[in-house]
Amino acid sequence: MILSKESQDFLENLRLYLVSSGKNESESEEIISELEDHLYEAEKSGKNVEDIVGRSPKDYMEQVASEMTFDRKGIMKYGGIIIVLAFSYLLLGDAVRGGIELSLLEALGYPLIFISFTLLTAGLFRHLASSKKNKTKEWTLIGIVGMTPILLFLGLIYLNKVIVTPSVTFSFAANVIAVIATITVFVITALWIKSLVTIMIPALLYLPEVLLGFTNYGEETQLLASTIIMFGGLFIYLLLMGRKDVNKTGAL
Amino acid sequence: MSSSQILKGILEGCLLSIIGKGETYGYEMIEKLNDYGFSMVKEGSIYPLLLRMKKEGLVATHQKPLPSGGPKRKYYTLTETGEKELIEFKQRWDAVSKSVDRLLEEEG
Repeated sequence: MILSKESQDFLENLRLYLVSSGKNESESEEIISELEDHLYEAEKSGKNVEDIVGRSPKDYMEQVASEMTFDRKGIMKYGGIIIVLAFSYLLLGDAVRGGIELSLLEALGYPLIFISFTLLTAGLFRHLASSKKNKTKEWTLIGIVGMTPILLFLGLIYLNKVIVTPSVTFSFAANVIAVIATITVFVITALWIKSLVTIMIPALLYLPEVLLGFTNYGEETQLLASTIIMFGGLFIYLLLMGRKDVNKTGAL
Repeated sequence: MSSSQILKGILEGCLLSIIGKGETYGYEMIEKLNDYGFSMVKEGSIYPLLLRMKKEGLVATHQKPLPSGGPKRKYYTLTETGEKELIEFKQRWDAVSKSVDRLLEEEG
């Protein structure tokens, strides 16, 4: 006998709720497997998930979450890595496209955008995990949250033109150092998370452009070719990754 | 006042007592509570409480594999602090329940 769909959904939602509330991962897994055990036994005697957690899954999730500690160390670690990674992507992009030029406004604005987007996403996940399913409302919210960083980036680019703040233009040597530093960041994270994803994504984003820059093709051909290689490569890479994940779960 | 409101403060003491009778796990605690007539306890409500009791050092947990294989099960035992708390709970409960009984009997 396996757990009913409702129970599995509830446990998945609880996991999402706890993770996006910044709760310690192993503590979360512990309470989830304990509840899984309980639901399994309860279903054997004909009870359902509502008998266990009550009418409102949201209230129950809040109750569980309030008894768990906020994983400040873990959040700082992952948050820090995300900011460093995101900043590295931006810098590497600038460096290969004619050099880094960074104003004070950008140096402060980009991390702020990353942080607010992360907080917003966490809030969205908490909401999606705990609220009743309503597809239209869900997709509207996902759309709004997804659009926010784009709007903020556009706003920052505009502000950067209007307001002049002290800025640094990297010399050739500084750009080379920046490229090496960002690539080091990608390699270290790849080793740490044991996945090539942090190397593959920037490689696919920037390498075609850089390599084609050495060829004698016209600018338009270069642009077209690098775009096709970039999107094609990303598509194939993500497809392969997805398949690998399926195989992994299939093997379990 | 509903039974769940009355229960709120004393469920912790009841869980201490059940765990004190020998190591046990969540579902079994509910079954035992039901055996004693606590059918008003919402099954899921013991888990947030158990989390708090563990944080307060009243209970300790360990994982044991199920005899049937499958995932591990989490068992609870009382710590020394838990045993002391249980004794104190018994004394407090004794005083409260006697007073309530006395009061209510007079009314009848």
